[in-house]
Amino acid sequence: MRESHRAPASIDLSVRIYTWLLAAYPARFRADYGPHMVQVFREVCRRESRRGGLPGMTGLWARTSLDLIRTSVEEHIERGIDMTRENFVRWSGWALMAGAVLFAAGLIIGSFDSNWEDPIGGVDAFYEISQIVGVVFGQILFVIGLLGLRAGYASRSGGLGSAVLLIAVIGGIVSLGGMLFMNSSEIGWGAWALGLVTMTLALTVYGVVTIRRKVFSRWNFAPLLTGVMIPALFGIGIAMEASGASLAEWTFPLGVSATSIGLILLGFRMQAEAASTSQALA
Amino acid sequence: MTEAAKGPESFLPLTPAVFHILLALADGEKHGYAIMQEVEDMTEGKVQMGPGTLYGSIKRMLAGGLIEESDDRPDPTLDDERRRYYRHTELGRKVLRQETERMAELMALARRKHVWSGVG
Repeated sequence: MRESHRAPASIDLSVRIYTWLLAAYPARFRADYGPHMVQVFREVCRRESRRGGLPGMTGLWARTSLDLIRTSVEEHIERGIDMTRENFVRWSGWALMAGAVLFAAGLIIGSFDSNWEDPIGGVDAFYEISQIVGVVFGQILFVIGLLGLRAGYASRSGGLGSAVLLIAVIGGIVSLGGMLFMNSSEIGWGAWALGLVTMTLALTVYGVVTIRRKVFSRWNFAPLLTGVMIPALFGIGIAMEASGASLAEWTFPLGVSATSIGLILLGFRMQAEAASTSQALA
Repeated sequence: MTEAAKGPESFLPLTPAVFHILLALADGEKHGYAIMQEVEDMTEGKVQMGPGTLYGSIKRMLAGGLIEESDDRPDPTLDDERRRYYRHTELGRKVLRQETERMAELMALARRKHVWSGVG
Protein backbone atom coordinates (compact mmCIF):
# COMPACT_ATOMS: atom_id res chain seq x y z
CA MET A 1 0.00 0.00 0.00
CA ARG A 2 1.23 3.49 -0.74
CA GLU A 3 2.35 5.52 2.26
CA SER A 4 0.39 8.69 2.57
CA HIS A 5 2.10 9.94 5.71
CA ARG A 6 5.70 10.89 6.35
CA ALA A 7 7.90 8.53 8.33
CA PRO A 8 9.42 9.82 11.59
CA ALA A 9 12.85 11.45 11.23
CA SER A 10 14.55 8.59 13.08
CA ILE A 11 13.31 6.08 10.47
CA ASP A 12 14.39 8.31 7.60
CA LEU A 13 17.84 8.58 9.19
CA SER A 14 18.08 4.81 9.69
CA VAL A 15 17.04 4.22 6.08
CA ARG A 16 19.59 6.75 4.82
CA ILE A 17 22.35 5.05 6.81
CA TYR A 18 21.28 1.60 5.54
CA THR A 19 21.19 2.89 1.95
CA TRP A 20 24.72 4.17 2.42
CA LEU A 21 25.86 0.86 3.91
CA LEU A 22 24.62 -1.05 0.84
CA ALA A 23 27.88 0.11 -0.74
CA ALA A 24 29.35 -2.98 0.94
CA TYR A 25 27.65 -5.20 -1.69
CA PRO A 26 28.96 -5.77 -5.21
CA ALA A 27 27.70 -3.10 -7.63
CA ARG A 28 25.64 -5.55 -9.71
CA PHE A 29 23.81 -6.98 -6.68
CA ARG A 30 23.22 -3.46 -5.37
CA ALA A 31 21.78 -2.32 -8.68
CA ASP A 32 19.45 -5.33 -8.93
CA TYR A 33 18.23 -5.57 -5.34
CA GLY A 34 19.36 -2.44 -3.44
CA PRO A 35 16.10 -0.44 -3.83
CA HIS A 36 14.04 -3.47 -2.76
CA MET A 37 16.26 -4.12 0.26
CA VAL A 38 15.87 -0.47 1.29
CA GLN A 39 12.09 -0.71 0.90
CA VAL A 40 11.96 -3.84 3.08
CA PHE A 41 14.28 -2.28 5.67
CA ARG A 42 12.08 0.83 5.84
CA GLU A 43 9.00 -1.26 6.54
CA VAL A 44 10.78 -3.31 9.21
CA CYS A 45 12.04 -0.06 10.79
CA ARG A 46 8.49 1.28 11.01
CA ARG A 47 7.32 -1.92 12.64
CA GLU A 48 10.16 -2.13 15.16
CA SER A 49 9.98 1.55 16.04
CA ARG A 50 6.24 1.20 16.67
CA ARG A 51 6.56 -2.03 18.65
CA GLY A 52 9.82 -1.70 20.54
CA GLY A 53 11.07 1.91 20.56
CA LEU A 54 14.79 2.37 21.16
CA PRO A 55 15.54 -1.21 22.33
CA GLY A 56 13.57 -2.54 19.34
CA MET A 57 15.58 -0.40 16.94
CA THR A 58 18.83 -1.46 18.64
CA GLY A 59 17.90 -5.12 18.13
CA LEU A 60 16.93 -4.44 14.52
CA TRP A 61 20.22 -2.68 13.81
CA ALA A 62 22.18 -5.50 15.47
CA ARG A 63 20.40 -8.13 13.33
CA THR A 64 20.61 -6.06 10.17
CA SER A 65 24.31 -5.32 10.67
CA LEU A 66 25.18 -8.99 11.09
CA ASP A 67 23.02 -9.81 8.07
CA LEU A 68 24.70 -7.10 6.01
CA ILE A 69 28.22 -8.20 6.91
CA ARG A 70 27.55 -11.90 6.34
CA THR A 71 25.64 -11.55 3.09
CA SER A 72 27.92 -8.88 1.58
CA VAL A 73 30.89 -11.21 2.21
CA GLU A 74 28.90 -14.06 0.59
CA GLU A 75 28.10 -11.94 -2.46
CA HIS A 76 31.73 -10.90 -2.84
CA ILE A 77 32.93 -14.47 -2.42
CA GLU A 78 30.44 -15.54 -5.07
CA ARG A 79 32.06 -12.98 -7.35
CA GLY A 80 35.45 -14.39 -6.40
CA ILE A 81 37.69 -12.50 -4.02
CA ASP A 82 41.07 -13.82 -3.08
CA MET A 83 41.02 -13.13 0.66
CA THR A 84 44.43 -14.23 1.89
CA ARG A 85 45.21 -14.25 5.60
CA GLU A 86 47.47 -11.24 5.12
CA ASN A 87 44.67 -9.35 3.41
CA PHE A 88 42.28 -10.33 6.19
CA VAL A 89 44.65 -9.04 8.89
CA ARG A 90 45.15 -5.80 6.99
CA TRP A 91 41.43 -5.22 6.55
CA SER A 92 40.70 -6.22 10.12
CA GLY A 93 43.20 -3.58 11.24
CA TRP A 94 41.12 -1.01 9.38
CA ALA A 95 38.01 -2.56 10.94
CA LEU A 96 39.43 -1.98 14.44
CA MET A 97 40.19 1.66 13.62
CA ALA A 98 36.77 2.31 12.09
CA GLY A 99 35.08 0.42 14.93
CA ALA A 100 36.88 2.55 17.53
CA VAL A 101 35.76 5.78 15.90
CA LEU A 102 32.15 4.57 15.51
CA PHE A 103 31.96 3.15 19.05
CA ALA A 104 33.34 6.30 20.68
CA ALA A 105 31.24 8.62 18.52
CA GLY A 106 28.10 6.54 19.19
CA LEU A 107 28.57 6.51 22.97
CA ILE A 108 29.59 10.14 23.26
CA ILE A 109 26.86 11.48 20.94
CA GLY A 110 24.34 9.13 22.59
CA SER A 111 25.19 10.54 26.03
CA PHE A 112 23.44 13.78 24.96
CA ASP A 113 20.14 11.87 24.72
CA SER A 114 18.07 13.46 27.49
CA ASN A 115 15.72 10.50 28.03
CA TRP A 116 16.94 6.93 27.49
CA GLU A 117 13.50 5.43 28.11
CA ASP A 118 11.45 7.39 25.55
CA PRO A 119 10.56 5.99 22.08
CA ILE A 120 12.89 6.87 19.23
CA GLY A 121 12.10 10.16 17.58
CA GLY A 122 11.54 13.80 18.33
CA VAL A 123 14.38 16.12 19.20
CA ASP A 124 16.61 13.29 20.45
CA ALA A 125 16.35 11.18 17.27
CA PHE A 126 19.82 12.13 16.04
CA TYR A 127 21.45 11.18 19.38
CA GLU A 128 19.48 7.92 19.60
CA ILE A 129 20.16 6.69 16.07
CA SER A 130 23.83 7.76 16.24
CA GLN A 131 24.23 5.74 19.41
CA ILE A 132 22.58 2.63 17.95
CA VAL A 133 24.53 2.72 14.70
CA GLY A 134 27.84 3.64 16.36
CA VAL A 135 27.74 1.03 19.11
CA VAL A 136 26.33 -1.82 16.99
CA PHE A 137 28.63 -1.31 14.01
CA GLY A 138 31.56 -0.44 16.27
CA GLN A 139 31.25 -3.74 18.11
CA ILE A 140 30.80 -5.76 14.92
CA LEU A 141 33.99 -4.21 13.61
CA PHE A 142 35.74 -5.01 16.93
CA VAL A 143 34.91 -8.69 16.49
CA ILE A 144 36.22 -8.66 12.91
CA GLY A 145 39.35 -6.84 14.10
CA LEU A 146 39.94 -9.31 16.94
CA LEU A 147 39.49 -12.26 14.55
CA GLY A 148 42.16 -10.68 12.35
CA LEU A 149 44.42 -10.07 15.35
CA ARG A 150 44.13 -13.72 16.30
CA ALA A 151 44.61 -14.92 12.71
CA GLY A 152 47.75 -12.84 12.31
CA TYR A 153 49.41 -12.89 15.70
CA ALA A 154 48.22 -15.88 17.77
CA SER A 155 51.22 -18.01 16.87
CA ARG A 156 53.65 -15.26 17.93
CA SER A 157 51.82 -14.60 21.20
CA GLY A 158 52.36 -17.93 22.96
CA GLY A 159 49.76 -20.17 24.57
CA LEU A 160 48.45 -17.53 26.99
CA GLY A 161 48.30 -14.82 24.32
CA SER A 162 46.48 -17.09 21.89
CA ALA A 163 44.00 -18.18 24.59
CA VAL A 164 43.15 -14.66 25.76
CA LEU A 165 42.69 -13.53 22.16
CA LEU A 166 40.15 -16.31 21.75
CA ILE A 167 38.45 -15.20 24.98
CA ALA A 168 38.39 -11.60 23.67
CA VAL A 169 36.70 -12.76 20.45
CA ILE A 170 34.14 -14.78 22.43
CA GLY A 171 33.52 -11.79 24.72
CA GLY A 172 32.96 -9.57 21.68
CA ILE A 173 30.49 -12.05 20.19
CA VAL A 174 28.63 -12.45 23.52
CA SER A 175 28.36 -8.67 23.83
CA LEU A 176 27.08 -8.40 20.27
CA GLY A 177 24.62 -11.23 20.88
CA GLY A 178 23.37 -9.42 24.00
CA MET A 179 22.30 -6.51 21.79
CA LEU A 180 19.95 -8.80 19.90
CA PHE A 181 17.98 -9.43 23.10
CA MET A 182 18.11 -5.97 24.68
CA ASN A 183 14.56 -5.42 23.51
CA SER A 184 13.08 -8.45 25.18
CA SER A 185 15.17 -9.24 28.20
CA GLU A 186 17.36 -7.84 30.96
CA ILE A 187 19.66 -10.73 30.14
CA GLY A 188 20.47 -8.95 26.87
CA TRP A 189 21.85 -5.95 28.75
CA GLY A 190 23.76 -8.26 31.12
CA ALA A 191 25.28 -10.20 28.21
CA TRP A 192 26.26 -6.96 26.47
CA ALA A 193 28.09 -5.63 29.55
CA LEU A 194 29.60 -8.98 30.54
CA GLY A 195 30.85 -9.59 27.00
CA LEU A 196 32.36 -6.11 26.79
CA VAL A 197 34.15 -6.47 30.13
CA THR A 198 35.37 -9.96 29.20
CA MET A 199 36.66 -8.72 25.87
CA THR A 200 38.53 -5.78 27.38
CA LEU A 201 39.86 -7.81 30.33
CA ALA A 202 41.22 -10.37 27.87
CA LEU A 203 42.84 -7.56 25.89
CA THR A 204 44.40 -6.25 29.10
CA VAL A 205 46.04 -9.62 29.71
CA TYR A 206 47.02 -9.77 26.05
CA GLY A 207 48.61 -6.33 26.48
CA VAL A 208 50.90 -7.72 29.19
CA VAL A 209 51.80 -10.57 26.83
CA THR A 210 52.61 -8.24 23.93
CA ILE A 211 54.83 -6.04 26.12
CA ARG A 212 56.72 -9.05 27.47
CA ARG A 213 57.07 -10.87 24.14
CA LYS A 214 57.33 -7.78 21.89
CA VAL A 215 54.70 -9.20 19.55
CA PHE A 216 54.50 -6.03 17.46
CA SER A 217 57.46 -4.17 16.01
CA ARG A 218 56.35 -1.11 18.04
CA TRP A 219 53.46 0.23 20.18
CA ASN A 220 53.21 -3.00 22.20
CA PHE A 221 51.36 -1.03 24.89
CA ALA A 222 48.33 -0.55 22.56
CA PRO A 223 46.37 -3.69 23.65
CA LEU A 224 46.87 -2.77 27.32
CA LEU A 225 45.65 0.77 26.68
CA THR A 226 42.67 -0.68 24.79
CA GLY A 227 41.73 -3.16 27.45
CA VAL A 228 42.39 -1.67 30.83
CA MET A 229 40.04 1.32 31.03
CA ILE A 230 36.60 -0.31 30.73
CA PRO A 231 37.18 -3.05 33.37
CA ALA A 232 38.88 -0.49 35.64
CA LEU A 233 35.96 1.92 35.40
CA PHE A 234 33.47 -0.92 35.93
CA GLY A 235 35.36 -2.03 39.05
CA ILE A 236 35.79 1.46 40.46
CA GLY A 237 32.15 2.28 39.66
CA ILE A 238 30.88 -0.80 41.51
CA ALA A 239 33.15 -0.10 44.51
CA MET A 240 32.07 3.54 44.69
CA GLU A 241 28.40 2.64 44.35
CA ALA A 242 28.76 0.29 47.31
CA SER A 243 30.04 3.21 49.39
CA GLY A 244 27.26 5.51 48.17
CA ALA A 245 29.42 7.62 45.84
CA SER A 246 29.43 7.76 42.04
CA LEU A 247 32.03 8.28 39.34
CA ALA A 248 32.68 11.81 38.12
CA GLU A 249 31.11 12.58 34.73
CA TRP A 250 34.47 13.12 33.02
CA THR A 251 35.57 9.52 33.68
CA PHE A 252 33.18 8.17 31.01
CA PRO A 253 34.55 10.13 28.01
CA LEU A 254 38.07 9.55 29.37
CA GLY A 255 37.55 5.77 29.44
CA VAL A 256 35.94 5.62 26.00
CA SER A 257 38.64 7.88 24.51
CA ALA A 258 41.52 5.83 25.96
CA THR A 259 39.95 2.59 24.72
CA SER A 260 39.40 4.06 21.27
CA ILE A 261 42.93 5.45 21.03
CA GLY A 262 44.29 2.03 21.99
CA LEU A 263 42.15 0.35 19.31
CA ILE A 264 43.21 2.86 16.67
CA LEU A 265 46.90 2.32 17.48
CA LEU A 266 46.43 -1.46 17.50
CA GLY A 267 44.50 -1.42 14.22
CA PHE A 268 47.05 0.85 12.58
CA ARG A 269 49.89 -1.45 13.62
CA MET A 270 48.07 -4.52 12.29
CA GLN A 271 47.36 -3.08 8.87
CA ALA A 272 50.83 -1.51 8.59
CA GLU A 273 52.65 -4.73 9.50
CA ALA A 274 50.39 -6.89 7.31
CA ALA A 275 50.95 -4.57 4.39
CA SER A 276 54.70 -4.32 4.74
CA THR A 277 55.90 -7.66 6.12
CA SER A 278 54.29 -10.88 5.03
CA GLN A 279 56.76 -12.78 7.24
CA ALA A 280 55.24 -11.11 10.29
CA LEU A 281 52.18 -13.31 9.81
CA ALA A 282 53.40 -16.67 10.99
CA MET B 1 23.74 -27.43 -18.18
CA THR B 2 21.94 -24.43 -16.70
CA GLU B 3 20.84 -24.53 -13.08
CA ALA B 4 17.20 -24.50 -14.11
CA ALA B 5 17.77 -27.67 -16.15
CA LYS B 6 18.87 -29.63 -13.05
CA GLY B 7 16.57 -32.10 -11.34
CA PRO B 8 14.86 -31.21 -8.04
CA GLU B 9 17.12 -33.55 -6.03
CA SER B 10 20.22 -31.57 -7.05
CA PHE B 11 18.97 -28.64 -4.92
CA LEU B 12 18.67 -30.72 -1.74
CA PRO B 13 19.21 -30.20 1.10
CA LEU B 14 17.91 -26.63 0.98
CA THR B 15 19.32 -23.88 3.16
CA PRO B 16 16.91 -22.79 5.92
CA ALA B 17 16.36 -19.44 4.18
CA VAL B 18 15.47 -21.01 0.81
CA PHE B 19 13.18 -23.57 2.47
CA HIS B 20 11.34 -20.89 4.43
CA ILE B 21 10.96 -18.66 1.37
CA LEU B 22 9.55 -21.53 -0.70
CA LEU B 23 7.19 -22.37 2.15
CA ALA B 24 6.09 -18.74 2.45
CA LEU B 25 5.23 -18.73 -1.27
CA ALA B 26 3.27 -21.99 -1.02
CA ASP B 27 -0.05 -20.18 -0.70
CA GLY B 28 0.50 -17.58 -3.39
CA GLU B 29 2.82 -14.91 -4.74
CA LYS B 30 4.29 -12.35 -2.38
CA HIS B 31 6.64 -9.35 -2.37
CA GLY B 32 9.84 -9.23 -0.29
CA TYR B 33 8.46 -7.74 2.91
CA ALA B 34 5.42 -10.05 2.82
CA ILE B 35 7.74 -13.06 2.49
CA MET B 36 9.77 -11.82 5.46
CA GLN B 37 6.64 -11.34 7.56
CA GLU B 38 5.18 -14.69 6.55
CA VAL B 39 8.40 -16.44 7.59
CA GLU B 40 8.34 -14.66 10.97
CA ASP B 41 4.68 -15.55 11.49
CA MET B 42 5.14 -19.19 10.42
CA THR B 43 8.05 -19.65 12.82
CA GLU B 44 6.56 -17.52 15.64
CA GLY B 45 9.47 -15.12 15.34
CA LYS B 46 12.18 -17.77 15.61
CA VAL B 47 13.41 -17.05 12.07
CA GLN B 48 14.01 -13.38 11.30
CA MET B 49 15.58 -12.86 7.91
CA GLY B 50 17.47 -9.67 7.14
CA PRO B 51 17.13 -7.94 3.75
CA GLY B 52 20.53 -9.31 2.66
CA THR B 53 19.58 -12.92 3.40
CA LEU B 54 16.18 -12.47 1.78
CA TYR B 55 17.38 -10.93 -1.48
CA GLY B 56 20.59 -13.00 -1.64
CA SER B 57 18.40 -16.12 -1.46
CA ILE B 58 15.91 -14.69 -3.96
CA LYS B 59 18.76 -13.98 -6.39
CA ARG B 60 19.99 -17.58 -6.19
CA MET B 61 16.47 -19.00 -6.36
CA LEU B 62 15.72 -16.98 -9.50
CA ALA B 63 18.99 -18.18 -11.04
CA GLY B 64 18.15 -21.77 -10.08
CA GLY B 65 14.66 -21.52 -11.54
CA LEU B 66 12.92 -22.21 -8.21
CA ILE B 67 10.94 -18.95 -8.28
CA GLU B 68 10.04 -16.35 -10.88
CA GLU B 69 8.92 -12.76 -10.87
CA SER B 70 5.26 -12.11 -11.34
CA ASP B 71 3.68 -9.11 -13.03
CA ASP B 72 0.31 -9.77 -11.44
CA ARG B 73 -0.82 -7.63 -8.52
CA PRO B 74 -3.44 -8.85 -6.03
CA ASP B 75 -4.94 -5.36 -6.06
CA PRO B 76 -3.09 -2.82 -8.26
CA THR B 77 -4.89 0.12 -6.67
CA LEU B 78 -3.60 -0.78 -3.22
CA ASP B 79 -0.05 -1.64 -4.14
CA ASP B 80 3.24 0.01 -4.96
CA GLU B 81 4.14 -0.65 -8.59
CA ARG B 82 7.88 -0.64 -7.71
CA ARG B 83 7.46 -3.81 -5.66
CA ARG B 84 8.49 -7.08 -7.20
CA TYR B 85 6.31 -10.11 -6.58
CA TYR B 86 7.65 -13.64 -6.61
CA ARG B 87 5.99 -17.02 -7.07
CA HIS B 88 6.96 -20.70 -7.29
CA THR B 89 7.91 -22.28 -10.56
CA GLU B 90 6.96 -25.88 -11.22
CA LEU B 91 10.53 -26.85 -10.33
CA GLY B 92 10.27 -24.84 -7.07
CA ARG B 93 7.14 -26.72 -6.08
CA LYS B 94 8.83 -30.08 -6.77
CA VAL B 95 11.90 -29.07 -4.79
CA LEU B 96 9.78 -27.97 -1.83
CA ARG B 97 7.85 -31.23 -1.90
CA GLN B 98 11.01 -33.36 -2.11
CA GLU B 99 12.69 -31.41 0.69
CA THR B 100 9.62 -31.86 2.89
CA GLU B 101 9.62 -35.60 2.13
CA ARG B 102 13.32 -35.77 2.96
CA MET B 103 12.66 -34.09 6.31
CA ALA B 104 9.73 -36.42 7.01
CA GLU B 105 11.99 -39.43 6.37
CA LEU B 106 14.56 -37.99 8.79
CA MET B 107 11.88 -37.49 11.43
CA ALA B 108 10.63 -41.05 10.93
CA LEU B 109 14.18 -42.26 11.38
CA ALA B 110 14.57 -40.18 14.55
CA ARG B 111 11.32 -41.68 15.86
CA ARG B 112 12.51 -45.22 15.15
CA LYS B 113 15.72 -44.46 17.02
CA HIS B 114 13.69 -43.05 19.95
CA VAL B 115 15.42 -39.68 19.55
CA TRP B 116 12.11 -37.95 18.98
CA SER B 117 8.68 -39.01 20.19
CA GLY B 118 6.78 -37.35 17.38
CA VAL B 119 4.88 -34.96 19.58
CA GLY B 120 5.61 -31.38 20.60
